[in-house]
Parts: sequence; C-alpha cells; structure tokens
Amino acid sequence: MNVSPQIFASTERSASVVMGRQDYLSVVLRLIGMELYKLRRRAMSKVLGIIAIVLAVLPFALVAFGTFATANAPAGSFAPSCQSIGPNGQPQQGPPPSCPTPSPAQVAQERQSIVQNTSAPLRLPDALNVAVQYGLIVGIVLLVILVGTIAGGEYATGTIRLLFIRGPTRTQFLIAKLGASFVVIFIGMLVMTALGVLTGQLFNPVSGVAQSGAFWSGAWIGHALLYLFIAMLNWFMFAVIAIFFATLGRSTAAGVVAGISWLFVEPILGSVLTLLGNVSKGALGDFLKAIPNYFIGTNFSALLTDQWQYLSLNSSSTPAVSVVHAVIVLLVYFAFFIGLTWWINKRRDVTN
Amino acid sequence: MNEKSETAHQSDCIISTSRLTKAFGKLVAVNDLHLEVMQGDVFGFLGPNGSGKTTTIRMLLGLIRPTAGRVVMFGMDTTYQLPAILQRVGAIVETPVFYPYLSGIDNLLAVAAASGMRSGKANRRRGEEVLELVELRIQAKMAYRKYSLGMKQRLGIAAALLTDPELVMLDEPTNGLDPSGMFEIRQLIHRLAELGKTIFLSSHLLNEVQQVCNRVAILQRGNLIKQGNVGELLRGNEQVLVRLNAPEETQAALATLRGARERGADWISNVVVEPNRQGQPTLRIDAPKARSAEINALLASDNLFAAELHPYEGSLEEIFLQLTTPNTNGGRRGMAGFASGGQEPYAFHPYNNAAPVLPNMPERAGEGRVDLP
Repeated sequence: MNVSPQIFASTERSASVVMGRQDYLSVVLRLIGMELYKLRRRAMSKVLGIIAIVLAVLPFALVAFGTFATANAPAGSFAPSCQSIGPNGQPQQGPPPSCPTPSPAQVAQERQSIVQNTSAPLRLPDALNVAVQYGLIVGIVLLVILVGTIAGGEYATGTIRLLFIRGPTRTQFLIAKLGASFVVIFIGMLVMTALGVLTGQLFNPVSGVAQSGAFWSGAWIGHALLYLFIAMLNWFMFAVIAIFFATLGRSTAAGVVAGISWLFVEPILGSVLTLLGNVSKGALGDFLKAIPNYFIGTNFSALLTDQWQYLSLNSSSTPAVSVVHAVIVLLVYFAFFIGLTWWINKRRDVTN
Repeated sequence: MNEKSETAHQSDCIISTSRLTKAFGKLVAVNDLHLEVMQGDVFGFLGPNGSGKTTTIRMLLGLIRPTAGRVVMFGMDTTYQLPAILQRVGAIVETPVFYPYLSGIDNLLAVAAASGMRSGKANRRRGEEVLELVELRIQAKMAYRKYSLGMKQRLGIAAALLTDPELVMLDEPTNGLDPSGMFEIRQLIHRLAELGKTIFLSSHLLNEVQQVCNRVAILQRGNLIKQGNVGELLRGNEQVLVRLNAPEETQAALATLRGARERGADWISNVVVEPNRQGQPTLRIDAPKARSAEINALLASDNLFAAELHPYEGSLEEIFLQLTTPNTNGGRRGMAGFASGGQEPYAFHPYNNAAPVLPNMPERAGEGRVDLP
C-alpha cells in the first residue's frame, strides 16, 4: 500500500478532507442528496420510472382509441334501439314496423354526443382528474416498491451499519429517507400527471372536440395545485407506511407487501363493513358503517372530492366526510406511522 | 493517582468503558467490562469467537445499547454525544457491506455524504486517494457486487480512513486478505500509529496483533481477563529451553534449579521436563530470557553442560491460549518439574510462528510424555 504522508494528518484532518456544514438541516439535506444519488444509480429506479411513464400514457391512449372507434363506427350503431313486444308481453325477434329510422342529422348528433362524452378525459379539467386518480393506484404501487426497497434494503444488505456509524443521528437518517421519498413523489406525480394531460391533449384532435378554456382562472390553478398536493400527500402516506413496515420487519418485502396490501385491502374492507352495517342496522350497523370514515382512502378521497368541486365544470359529487374530519384523521395516521418508525429506529439494536 | 495526573489521564484516554454490560435475554454477551484505550495506542482486542468482541465494538459505535454501564470516548459519553464522537471515528464492523449496485468510488461518495463531507470534486479526489491507498484505484469504477472478499475488505478500510479520523476501529481487517495484503495492512497500521492515530484492532490473528499492537485486552465469554502492555505480558512469559545430553543429567539439572530456587533464585518460577520429537528430555524454565547465561552458569557449576539453550520470548498466542483455553496445557504435564507456589508445572503449546520449536517435539498434547511418580 502506498501510504504517503499527505493522505493522513497527525492532528487535524488531512487537507484533502473537505467537511461540509454540520448544522442539523445541512446534514439532513446532504443525506437526502445521498439517498437520491443512490436512487438515481439503481437500475430498479430506472425500470420503475419507465413503467410509470408507460402507465401514465396508457389510459389516455385507450380513451383516444375508444374515441376513434366511436367516431368511425357505422351509422347503424347510433340508431335508437327498438324492439317489438308480442301479445303475451314477451320481446319478439326483429324491429317493429313502427320503429322510426333516424335521419343522418340525428345520427351525426348522437355520434357527436357520444364522442364528446367518451373523449372528455382527454381534455382538461377531466384529464387532470383521470391522471391523478389513475396515479393513486398505479403510482402508489410503484412508489411503495421503490420506498420499501430504499428503507428495507438497508437492513437486507446490512448497509444500515455503514450509515449508523458515520456521525448523523438515526433521526436524521429517517428524515432523509422521508425527504427523499417526498422528492420522488413530487417528481413522480408531476411527471405522471403532466405526461397524462399532454397525452390527452395530443390525442384530443381525434375526437374533433376543441379544448375549452372556460375554466381557466387564477383560482382554478390554485385549486389544481392544492389538488395535486393532496394527491402527493396520499402517495406520501403510503410511502410512510412502506418505510414503517420495512423498518419494523427489517426487510424490503415487509414494506412492499404491507404498503400494497393496505392500498387494496382497505377499500374491500370498507365495502364489507358498509354492507354488514346495512344488514345489521341499529347501533351496531351505524358503528360498522362509520368505521370506513376513518380509513386513509376515504379521507384522502374526501379532500380530493372537495377540491374537484372547484376544478370540474359540472361536478355533483360531495365528500363522504368533512374536510376538517379528513385532515384530523390523516394527521393522526401520519403521526402514528412516522412516530412509531422514529421510535423503532432510535431504540433498535443493529445486529446482524 | 493525584487530581492533576488523573485529569491528564482522562484527557489522554480515547476510549473508556466502565461496568459495560450487554445481555441478550439470558445470554450475557459482555459483562462488566472496564476498558481503557489511550491516545496513540495500537490496541489489540482479542478473544475467541463469541467472546463479545464485536458486541463491544457495536456498543462503542452506538449500534447497540448497553444493558448497563457507560462508554466515554474522547471525553464524551456515547449516550448523549454519539454524533460528535462518530465524526472522529472511522470503523469497520465485521465484514464491510456496501451498496452492491454502486461502484467502489460511488460507495465512498455515499459514505462521504453520510460522514458530513462536502460533495464535489474535492471529496472525489479524497475518495480516489484512499482507494489508491488500499490499491483499489483501478477497480474504482467496478460495481461493488463484482468485488472479491479481499477487495470488499479493502474498500471497508478505505471507507474507515475516508475522513482521516483520530480513532480507527478495525474489526478483523485482514479477513479475506492474502499474506501480502495482510502485510500491507500492518504497514498501514504502523504508519497511522506513527501519525498519532489511535487504532483499535480486533483480530484473531495473534501473531499480527503481537507485531502491531502496543496494548491488548483479552476477552472471554464476555469477561475481560487480561488488559495490558504487550511487552509486559510477553516478559511475564519468557522462558529458557535447555537440553542436556543425557536423561540423568536432565534430572540432575532439575535438582540444581530447584536448589537454586530454594536458595533464593525466585526468578525461576516453573520448570518442566518435556521430551522433544526424538524423545530427548528438555527443560522448559519459566524465567526471564536475560537470565539465560545465569542458568547456564548454574548448571555448569554442577558440571551439567547444555547441549542446546534457547532463550525464548514467548508469544501472544501462548498467553491467549493460556488465558482462554480451559486446561491450557491440554493435559500436558511435564515428565517432571516443579512450580512456584505449589502450582502444577505447565507447558505451553510451542507450535507457533514466533516460538522456537523444539526439534521433533510430539504434535499431540501429552503424546510421548511420561509422568514420573
């Protein structure tokens, strides 16, 4: 080995070691940078990124295809449906003689109406809703895989030892993981939504319906940003769940499986409880029906629906729970998962 | 110790543990450990597998929490000031592990960021410097997953030295290295020690520890059984091996030595008669090697002339085995002998690199020995 005297210094550090600022925030920011650097260098991140891009474009491409098929369907497809009824009240084969034949203008109007409805997701503001709602399933699944890996992978490979003996506190490392997750969510959400909306705009000429600009206003943009922010928080909630379970189980699999299971089991459980509540009736029935109001999905859905009322030109949906209720419930979830992860992370003995 | 010297002692003390204990359920991995590592020490931390070495290192580095006791490093308590302490420490714990998808240099950049180093060209240069040091510069851009065990170990050492720390803790640093790699690590440790770095070295390779360390602690089943200066430990283990021409002369020599001891030559502690490989009885005398000439003169005064006389320094391995192995002499009792304080005479296992091997000594313990009535 070539041990030249310049490489090491006897008292202070060697001149070739350049230390950065050591205040709490600087350390955390540097660690977030390190996490993002590791993510950027992972083949898995690139693969998941490509999948996300393809999946972001896919629904809009399918809608465009449906619109194209509708616009080019034979005229007979738009005729009003007629069926002759026999004397015994049973339907009979073939159209009745009195069935009116639609005029070409009626067919064109019917075609136009169906094409307009079918192609609505290609245009704003509906395109925003489609991109975000679609991302709430596909994006979260991909995110949970990525975040579960960055948290659980440290335990699986043993690099947690490498990190914990370098100086920053365990809390700083946890904040860095959460911070890096949020950066990924921010980029992922913006890219997926922008790609979706742009794809919609790109395919919209197929429908022959012009993009309306009637909704544009400063307030609309503000609500759209808030809508996106709530969706990002929805993603972040699942990132937190993945980090919690990956830390608890010291493995990637624990974080990924728990995060994805939560995403899909919660709505099923909500439906089952509502059904049981309707069957049971009385106080027990009310209690069972009220439980889904405290689910993550219900509360994020309420916040998103609340914003969608301002974004959509003709929304009639109302949130299942109040905004205040949703905010409080979600804050409790965040506090619970982040707090518990922090506690486990801080108290845990790092062995093999 | 007066107050002034005690303060000086504390300021020189890099690692100090008191009553340090770690229990995993009913298993006490480390028990009531009092350890002191002074500034500039090259401190060897020895013990058989499962003796609690790695558990101790983990407690020192804050990876696991002690069940009882405390650790003070650089005058700071690890419970409250661990981040400040760790900034002054570079360590490898067991087999170093890095991110498999990153290259060697990229791993070091990740470690640099985690260590509080500024990102940028300067620290990339530093990374390249330490990679050069461990002779990994050529493989700097190779993915870590393609590294051999020895290369992984070298990268671990590079990471430990990245921030040019005051204290370097190396847990089995030569695992997976070839003899030349081991030699280079020894050179590196010497060089770091010359620069005033404190080295805490845990190793099974006792010969290696003997060559580089000035102080050692020996751990067994979680208990500290010996701590001290290597030179002093070895001096306490010096022996003089004497072979005479005839068996009856050996018995006479034994009587002479016993007589000398009774007359006040208390520097002779244990004497044991062992056969060499040719079955020739040989005297193994526990005495300072500086007394070799005196022993020769004593025997000569009774017309007993040594055919062979070896002053023997002893080795850390012998001390280690003596302290950690139950019945260290492996049931080896001399053909005859005497011991100070009424103890059984004992014999060390002589087959190690440092010890002069008696010619044709039997390989297995007890083989070829005859206990005299």
